[in-house]
Amino acid sequence: MPSTPNSASDPAPDNAGVSDTVLSVRGLTTAFNRRGHFHAAVRHVGFDLQRNETLCLVGESGCGKSVTALSLMRLLPGRRQCRVSGSAWFDGQDLLALSEPAMTRLRGARLSMIFQEPMTSLNPVLPIGAQVGEPLVFHRGLSRQEAEREALRLLDLVKIPDAARRLRQFPHQFSGGMRQRVMIAMALACRPDILFADEPTTALDVTIQAQVLALLNDLRQERNLSLVLITHDLGVVASVADRVAVMYAGEIVEQAPADRLFARPSHPYTEALLRSIPRSDRDVGELRAISGQVPPIHRMPAGCRYAPRCPVAEAACLDATPALAPLPGDPAHAVRCRVRNPAAASEGRIGHA
Amino acid sequence: MLECADSAAPILEVQGLRKVFSITRGFMGGQRASLTAVDDVSFGVAAGEAFGLVGESGCGKSTVGRCLLRLIEPTAGRVRYRGQDLAALPAQALRPLRRKLQIVFQDPYSSLNPRRTVGQTLVEPLRVHGVAKGRAARDRVAAVLTEVGLAPEAADRFPHEFSGGQRQRIAIARALILEPELIVADEAVSALDVSIQAQILLLLKDLKARHGLSFVFISHDLGVVRYFCHRVAVMYLGRLVETGPVPAIFDTPLHPYTETLRNASPVPDPANKVTMRRLDGEVPSPTAPPPGCHFHPRCPKAMDVCRTTPPAWTTLSGGRGAACHLHG
Amino acid sequence: MTAPTLDTAPDTGRGTGAPRFLADLLRVFNANKLSWLGLVLFVGLCLAAVFAPLLATHDPIDQSILYRLRPPSDSHWLGTDSYGRDVFSRILYGARISLIIGLASIALGLVVGGALGILAGYRGGWVDQAIMRVMDVLLSFPTLIMGLLVVAMLGASMLNLIIAIAFTVVPKFARIARAPTIAVRERDYIEACRALGYSDLRIMVVHILPNVLGEILVLASLWTATAIRIEASLSFIGLGVAPPTPTWGGMIREGFEYILDAPWLSIYPGLAVLLLVFSLNLLGDGLRDAIDPKLRE
Repeated sequence: MPSTPNSASDPAPDNAGVSDTVLSVRGLTTAFNRRGHFHAAVRHVGFDLQRNETLCLVGESGCGKSVTALSLMRLLPGRRQCRVSGSAWFDGQDLLALSEPAMTRLRGARLSMIFQEPMTSLNPVLPIGAQVGEPLVFHRGLSRQEAEREALRLLDLVKIPDAARRLRQFPHQFSGGMRQRVMIAMALACRPDILFADEPTTALDVTIQAQVLALLNDLRQERNLSLVLITHDLGVVASVADRVAVMYAGEIVEQAPADRLFARPSHPYTEALLRSIPRSDRDVGELRAISGQVPPIHRMPAGCRYAPRCPVAEAACLDATPALAPLPGDPAHAVRCRVRNPAAASEGRIGHA
Repeated sequence: MLECADSAAPILEVQGLRKVFSITRGFMGGQRASLTAVDDVSFGVAAGEAFGLVGESGCGKSTVGRCLLRLIEPTAGRVRYRGQDLAALPAQALRPLRRKLQIVFQDPYSSLNPRRTVGQTLVEPLRVHGVAKGRAARDRVAAVLTEVGLAPEAADRFPHEFSGGQRQRIAIARALILEPELIVADEAVSALDVSIQAQILLLLKDLKARHGLSFVFISHDLGVVRYFCHRVAVMYLGRLVETGPVPAIFDTPLHPYTETLRNASPVPDPANKVTMRRLDGEVPSPTAPPPGCHFHPRCPKAMDVCRTTPPAWTTLSGGRGAACHLHG
Repeated sequence: MTAPTLDTAPDTGRGTGAPRFLADLLRVFNANKLSWLGLVLFVGLCLAAVFAPLLATHDPIDQSILYRLRPPSDSHWLGTDSYGRDVFSRILYGARISLIIGLASIALGLVVGGALGILAGYRGGWVDQAIMRVMDVLLSFPTLIMGLLVVAMLGASMLNLIIAIAFTVVPKFARIARAPTIAVRERDYIEACRALGYSDLRIMVVHILPNVLGEILVLASLWTATAIRIEASLSFIGLGVAPPTPTWGGMIREGFEYILDAPWLSIYPGLAVLLLVFSLNLLGDGLRDAIDPKLRE
């Protein structure tokens, strides 16, 4: 799959004037080997992440949101199973071109990640204190005692009550919410610039989810952190996102500041998604389900990937791949739909392979 | 709908349902603890009504669902189905009644036997209950599959050949095949993506209307409950804290826990962000619930009486009820 | 991430019933050519046992002091033993007894142990406690002592030998069957079965057994060799099949005395056991795959 970094036809919506960009992703394409053929699970994903910003990647399962984060963290298997192309500029270096040792130095130190299920990410036979301090021993060369002391401070930071005692306990003695706090503490141990959070609250009850989201929000502001929050829940997005990228079948189909996305959802998929959510705050009347299902990565339709399920699709949608282009008159709001956004008519040179 | 809930005899009536699990821990079961998963729960479900049971994990809502079907033996209380107490019935007498009460589970990957074709799974109940066999059974399977939106040819395939949403349709078909009157849906749409969830909710609503089915709809998702149910009971640590008709209970919650739950439930609207309380504590362990009102340690409106005395159930106007000293 | 919804449903329908199981079996065997090898070897061994009188070159119990401990030659293909008996013929005849004892005792152990394990795992509670404590006690006896006790109590006969050997594998099968039963019992579809009013027996036989069978079959093929070895040990101390009658185990035992001077005495019956176990193993693998619908593509 050819791709040109910074290609005009694959723009990330520019937050013109704001130069405090921490991460700049262009043309990220990740393909997986399925019976000898490589199929793109993520295709031409581009975005800019600002300092102290929460960017939400939202979409249904299989839309490529987790793969996007794992690609940027370089946590995917090797070239035989998966190929990553494109660029991701962070602090003057391209993450996707970095050597493995150089990436190991960044990962966990300046780029961190937390996952949905904190139980499987923690070692059940080691006390919490030893695990929270581990990144500091590895990245900063702290001694065990220093790391332990720092771990105590970190547990306080993520507001785990009675931290000194909790340090000596084991993961199974923590509730789901507390375990996720521990994971956050570990992820923040080396003061990273970017935190990728992959469905961090999905396994938690709503009242605990609200606490963890509040914690993430506070820490982001205190530490000037950039947060990439991956979620399937548009309700969570509405509560915490500064900017939103809606993904479908491996592509960003719409990207906008959160308030504008909810006020004026422009891609038919975003619209449909919002109409299929039963809401607790008001009666929605009849739900409108999206017919069919997400195509498997080895059977992606040509043209617009949403076209086969799209109620407004035209004949041309089935032929040419639309580009993610800013809406006329709204440069921060990009939509990959030729019907709703004339500027998206085609990806031009890049096309689909 | 509400009138029928109040006036007509309910098809299912639960009274004083209680389930205590005993847990043994340590060497040779040295330490014993008991866990009251369900504590004095009572409610009724009218014919054709969808009754919601909401609460967070560990509140006992799934245990209630399983006690209704006697998949778990209740410790105390009555579960009357059309006047007959299921909880007191001997196992043999219970079996024919099982046709009338069915269940749909959350995880469509574990709720279907991976080694049996969809057809085998659906024919088996017909044979066991002597409803139909051979040709007639196959016709019934085809009809049920069509009804849940699958092709009759699906009968020849195995569950792993289907997506999550399709599997949930199969699980619903299995629950429908004996033509039950009441279905316990235990987080039946929670594991599904929103677009698929909407498809399944529409299907369930359609089936409810077409067959006059009653539902006990267990969910943690207030949005789903608001959409699907007529009345709701909110549970916290094994006890009912509030019941009432659906729009009212979410729009003007009476119990502080219902309010907390509502405020923490995310809705897709930036103008209506979830209330992110920095620290209102953990859900206490059900093995050692707090004295008095179980919710008092997390309750913003807790009073002295809440710490010592469990609130009694109070029936309020508008078909509502709550267990809270504020409304006692 | 929630469950993936990638749908890879093929469009073809299939027939139903027994012919399909055979067709599936055939497909799996074709996909895994070694299963065919296993089947061929196993059938070959069985045929050799059945037609032993036709295939044998000598009488298996005919002694000949002049020809004792001869190495393999034209007249005695696999040599002769310390009584001058033809090893090849004895292996052929021995196959009859060893196959019957090995397979029958394992089959008996599998049925009884499997049933107890499934019952214990499915019912849990005191039933589980009671069954598994008894199994643990049985398991704590050394295999040979166990067999010895049973034969000593029942008396030495082929049937009692089979029962004795079965006794030694019952607790092992029970343990093996119990673990997957407990895992499967927790699955929602078992609860759905109960909600549909199925009897416990039906749930255990129709819904749990197939999940347990694969693992059991593979181990059963391995333990067949153990069974033959126990038979040998019991025969050796006079509690098994009486001496002149050839059995593989007995032959290996007898050969030990001359292992340096006449290694063929043990090696060839040993190879026969190996061949049997090998064939059963390949067969067991194939059967296990055939039972799993996910591998039937």
